[in-house]
Amino acid sequence: MTGAYVPGLEGIIAAQTAISMVDGENGRLVYRGYVIADLAEDMSFEEVAHLLWYGRLPTRAELDGLTLELAASRALTPAAAATLNALPTDTDPMDVLRSVVSVQGVEHRLEKPTIPLAVHAAASFPTILANFHRRQAGLDPVAPRADLGHAANYLYMLNARESSPEIVRALNTYLVLLADHGMNASTFTARVIASTDSDLASCLVGAIGALKGPAHGGAPSAVMDQLEMIGTAANAERWMREARKQKVRFMGFGHRIYRTYDPRARILKAMCERLNPQFYDLASKVEETALAILHEEHPERPQATNVEFYSAGVLQAIGLPKEYFPPTFAVSRAAGWTAHVLEQSANNRLIRPQSEYIGPEPRKPAPLAERG
Amino acid sequence: MTEFSPGLEGVVAAETAVSEVDGANGRLIYRGGYLIEDVAAVASYEEIVHLLLQGDLPNSRQLDALRRQMAEARTLNDAGLGAIMALDPDTDPMDTLRTVVSAQGATRSITKPTLDEAIALTSIFPTIVAAAHRRRLGKEIVEPRPDLDHAANLLWMMEGTEPPAERASWVGHYLVLLADHGLNASTFAARVIASTGSDLTSSVVGAIGALKGAAHGGATLAARSMLDKIGSADNAEKWLKDAHARHERFAGFGHRVYRTYDPRAKILREMAKTAAPQLHKTAARTEELALQILHEAHPERPNATNVDFWASVVLTGAGIPKEMFTCIFATSRVAGWTAHVLESLSDLRIIRPASRWVGPEGGKQALPLAGR
Repeated sequence: MTGAYVPGLEGIIAAQTAISMVDGENGRLVYRGYVIADLAEDMSFEEVAHLLWYGRLPTRAELDGLTLELAASRALTPAAAATLNALPTDTDPMDVLRSVVSVQGVEHRLEKPTIPLAVHAAASFPTILANFHRRQAGLDPVAPRADLGHAANYLYMLNARESSPEIVRALNTYLVLLADHGMNASTFTARVIASTDSDLASCLVGAIGALKGPAHGGAPSAVMDQLEMIGTAANAERWMREARKQKVRFMGFGHRIYRTYDPRARILKAMCERLNPQFYDLASKVEETALAILHEEHPERPQATNVEFYSAGVLQAIGLPKEYFPPTFAVSRAAGWTAHVLEQSANNRLIRPQSEYIGPEPRKPAPLAERG
Repeated sequence: MTEFSPGLEGVVAAETAVSEVDGANGRLIYRGGYLIEDVAAVASYEEIVHLLLQGDLPNSRQLDALRRQMAEARTLNDAGLGAIMALDPDTDPMDTLRTVVSAQGATRSITKPTLDEAIALTSIFPTIVAAAHRRRLGKEIVEPRPDLDHAANLLWMMEGTEPPAERASWVGHYLVLLADHGLNASTFAARVIASTGSDLTSSVVGAIGALKGAAHGGATLAARSMLDKIGSADNAEKWLKDAHARHERFAGFGHRVYRTYDPRAKILREMAKTAAPQLHKTAARTEELALQILHEAHPERPNATNVDFWASVVLTGAGIPKEMFTCIFATSRVAGWTAHVLESLSDLRIIRPASRWVGPEGGKQALPLAGR
């Protein structure tokens, strides 16, 4: 039985999952039974990764075990480090991540994905980004510190010094909030690749490639670019009305699923207000204006500030350059991607949809000499 | 919400004019409306590249121009070469391909996929595949030869000597036959990645990852490995019966879409007689018996020798080592992947399906660490 073509597979169920649920109607995001607001403030990224991988929050002993395992897997293989150094220093960090994650995984060949392999892969993301960031600045890489958590160590490797507890906490919350989000395009990509019985590295590079797209993870830097163009809160209304006349899209608004305020955006917004007041003053004015204009244009549509919008302010407060926003999203989402790959391969069926042919009916090809 | 169809079986996920798999009638139609058997009889791989990417077979002037463009795009850039040299020589060649394509395509900022880029990517695959092969053998990389066509140059770079015309033509025919095949898993992965607005390299890297899976591109190697184990036509009956008794799957049989004989398998079966007479005997006997056994076990299922079965015989005859089979498959299919990505740009919409929640209801109380 073949159904009708559904553009974007909107509303088509492509998988059963127990990892996360996006309840768009009620504006809820649930990880393995826990609503995101209950996890965001108090949990470490490691605890949430444990939750996503194993299906439950860790005990103290389990958390210590996972923390050690992650810390022990942070170093790049010699081949991965050499690949990183072969890339031009002006390369988009997403391309660096895609290329080096590809190498970091080669020693596992066609092993079936497992939790230890997921840990190994997720642990390397911050190292890849921090090393490349250092290289861009002409600096040597900083060796990871096993006594620091995932968020704190990422910042330490980027800056060669420890960050304040407040900044570490902010990055940790960001990493928790973005770690999974239902069947988004990059996660779906990872599952399609997993469904062929391919390996974890293949799934991850595919997911990174999908996240790179501006309609997915590529948006936070675009939010920053737009805010820079707007410049000041006082200028917002004039700039934005003018922009709409030229059909410019407002960056950071709109989501296929949420019909109410994205619960992650709400938390990130509050963090921005605290950590990045200058950004917040401008961004909250831009948000208000954008929502008003969008409502005037399409009163039937729900108002939707998406997670990218206030992510930009939080990541800026943390001190990340905007080119590092999308790959830092990947640092977080690596937990969800790998969890989905494990879930897919535990109960696998090749994902091979149909296409509808819209080309001409069969005809004979002309030999080369007779073609006009 | 619709029903969940595992593996998206029967779900139409795209409209396409690039190719059509008419499984009920055992037909494969390439862009422009050409049946595979008709177009394979008259066209070289370069002509198929033109057909898939530009919509019709080229005239001789267009073909000359494309050949020149492809020959000029056979050289790796510094990042691509650096990545090859960074990898251990015994790396799985598909991992090498995935990594080097990623590094070769690493750029400063994201770009929209273009026709020239698609041609360049298609052109560079043989160079990477041959380099991976040479390094596995501990030999120097061979520079491409602009005067040879795509297939002959591939063999030249792999072997370091000019191949006999016959072997080059078998490889060329194989490349023509495998260049596209509807919405298979790797092509679908490429389209999902493209749907986020990501770049062509990201789509192709994800597709390579999907093709690597044993249930997809890895099937050709599996078929050859099975034939190796069977060893001779005389041994086929005993081996297959034993394997069936052990509930082992026969490699090279079964396809989700075809309900009759795969038209590509038919062509390759015929080629195999001349390309690999000895292995053809074993394979023909194996096919006969396997279909018999499968029919007895599942009389309701259609008989299905798949393309991988006979491809493994032809590639063997063409002198391709079996470890390189999946890479050669990718070398062909990259034309289809890029054609699908370019096609999808005309109506880009993020592919973001839904999932069915099978986890616990939201609202579980998160116990503090000490209480778990």
